[in-house]
Amino acid sequence: MNQQLAGYAPTPVVARMENHGRTMLKVAMATGQDLFARTGSIVSYEGFIQYEPNPPAARQAAAQWVSGEGSPVMKCSGDGLLYLADYGADVVVIHLDDDAISVNGTNVLAFDAHLQWGVERVKGLAKLAGQGLWNVEISGTGWVALTSRGTPVVVDCGKGEDETYVDPDALVAWSPKLKVKGKRSFKASSLIGRGSGEAYQMAFSGQGIVVVQPSEDSTDRLRIRG
Amino acid sequence: MAREFQRGHKARISDLTAGTDLYVGVQIASPGLTFDISCFGLDADERLSDDRYFVFFNQPKSPEESLQLLGAQAGDTESFRVTLDRLPAHVHRLSFTAAIDGAGQMSQIGPGYIRIVAGGEEVARYPFTGSEFTTERAVMLGDFYLKDVWRFAAIGQGFDGGLEALLKNFGGEVAEEQQAAQQPMGAAPAFAPPAQAAVPPAFGVPPQASQTPQIPHAPQPAPSFGTPAASPPAPPQTPPSAYPPPQRNPQIHTAHTIAAPVFPPGGAVPPPPPGDGLPPQPPQFGQAPGQTMPLAPPAPFGAQPSAPYGQPQGVPAAGAGLQAALQPYRETPTGQRWTPQNQQLMRVELGIGGSAVLARQGSMVMYQGRVDFSHKSAGYVGRKLGDATGQEMQLMRCSGRGQVFLAEDAAQLHPIELQGDGICVSAENVLAFDETLQYEIRRIEGHGIPGGALFTIQLTGTGTVVVKTRGTPVVLPVTPTTFADANAVVAWSSASQVILSSQVRLRRNAYPGHSGETVNLQFRGAPGNFIVVQPYEV
Repeated sequence: MNQQLAGYAPTPVVARMENHGRTMLKVAMATGQDLFARTGSIVSYEGFIQYEPNPPAARQAAAQWVSGEGSPVMKCSGDGLLYLADYGADVVVIHLDDDAISVNGTNVLAFDAHLQWGVERVKGLAKLAGQGLWNVEISGTGWVALTSRGTPVVVDCGKGEDETYVDPDALVAWSPKLKVKGKRSFKASSLIGRGSGEAYQMAFSGQGIVVVQPSEDSTDRLRIRG
Repeated sequence: MAREFQRGHKARISDLTAGTDLYVGVQIASPGLTFDISCFGLDADERLSDDRYFVFFNQPKSPEESLQLLGAQAGDTESFRVTLDRLPAHVHRLSFTAAIDGAGQMSQIGPGYIRIVAGGEEVARYPFTGSEFTTERAVMLGDFYLKDVWRFAAIGQGFDGGLEALLKNFGGEVAEEQQAAQQPMGAAPAFAPPAQAAVPPAFGVPPQASQTPQIPHAPQPAPSFGTPAASPPAPPQTPPSAYPPPQRNPQIHTAHTIAAPVFPPGGAVPPPPPGDGLPPQPPQFGQAPGQTMPLAPPAPFGAQPSAPYGQPQGVPAAGAGLQAALQPYRETPTGQRWTPQNQQLMRVELGIGGSAVLARQGSMVMYQGRVDFSHKSAGYVGRKLGDATGQEMQLMRCSGRGQVFLAEDAAQLHPIELQGDGICVSAENVLAFDETLQYEIRRIEGHGIPGGALFTIQLTGTGTVVVKTRGTPVVLPVTPTTFADANAVVAWSSASQVILSSQVRLRRNAYPGHSGETVNLQFRGAPGNFIVVQPYEV
């Protein structure tokens, strides 16, 4: 039995953030290198790791994201290995090199605490009542981990003069340089996107990338659990 | 008697067989992926000191023919002939490896094996499956190595970076890309298995000029991996005719984030990680300072290097940056009308064929260009299904000019190209199809089917239908005794006949936890028909 399981033992650490399999993130923590992770995403840790579920800084920054509840991110610090996951979603690790990315709130898993970040509401787009589309804009130099339900695809937006239209439920991340606007369905008779509610797309234009997941399940599982 | 190896097992060849003229077969397959299977002849330091002992599709044998590549035969994806006693003295280890050509991950592969056959009899087999791997793109399957005598070890060690990382690990030179680029593209013929491929996997006393079939590959300068486009695509492995050969993206090799060989070659200390704000390797908690990775035999499991955590060290995280991290997920190049972006996303190019596409409503995740989406007004399919089952099967018509990306619930997608033939697809499993296809509803009624009947869409004509499955499906030939669960069956070739078969058991109601599996569909048809079943009962 041991031989069967041994294949899943941790691999040697080669970077601050790594995939362990498709769906788990391994973060090498060290003193002075704090991390913001989604509350409830820790599946395991090894070593001396402390986490602060409601850090004041994060609470302030994310005040709009969730009102009246705890902060959606927690601050982790210490020495050791931290394993994060979001209900079996694929994890994509990105090292930002003086770059910026705008991530859908549900698709953020973790990011280095020293990065600049802020929460914004996507303009021109109101989703179902009570639940807007929030995105976290992260910039600087450091590591970011995203989740995606299924293998994502990355599309260059600025190939043609045409805009790129994305189902907001399938949207994962985009370049903040892009211009975003919400778009209702074009014809009264057409019904695209989820059957329930209104049909929206988000229209992106400009030079940059858009990351899309192959699923229209945008449920924030980490929040549902509370 | 075949001896079953597990990862890490080792054995003397002489304990397996008395022969030294061995056939080594590798089976590794996955829908839509092609593999480069090669053999590295390494010296005592586990370096590829002599390029001529790197046997792969462009160099099918070593100089004195002690190592030969034989091609696919006898159920093996690739096969080699190894004559151990003719190997030159400096070759101390033969490492058999498989690498995915193009995009993909080893976790996607189905069950495979590496086996040793001597004298027509299989003497050793190391089976593996995709679940043992994750994001690796290359894997060392097994090694022959010389330690007093020749031995075999089942390795199963994956590499993230693909063949290139493997080659680097063995100290080979990656490229001569210019030479390869000068090679005219037309010189690479399509992969055609040799006509007399039925060489038995046995070697008696081989005559000097053996009947080894030569694989008609273009002779190219030896290790030329920088340009995968020049390598001929292998035929798709899957039966239902229609997985298009995977798109080759030459950039994919250059961009993977972390190539992580567990044992760096030659003990060379790799450069520290790039400047991402980390202090340069202070001895961390729980980690012996100055620890060096084990050098010699790659103990693949159990003996994990004992640095459980601590500072990132070893191979630098190559290709830092946003673009590099997202490179593996890039949109694949345009060309065909239907292009799978990955296993779960399909892109359809509107405007090339001119005709529209019918897709399940809500399956559009993104589009570019001027595309019109309209309710499929002649929604006979949708209405009929909606009426009868209470389950909405609404179609939308996508027309115009641009690219539409379709996906649903991260289900696996399979494009099936019909060329005048027909297929029946269970209504829930249709994602999209060309409007040029004729479709009609077929209804299979029966007692015990949820909803009273099973609805299928029969599609005929010329065009592509995209079928979605939960999990990796199985394609079965239709035999006199082919049965499938009505909830798990996805599609079948329309020439086969469906019969409802109920199994009545005497003890049916005898126990409360009865499985409920009493109604099955039986399929009948001429040989050549097939059914597709998914591992998920809707």
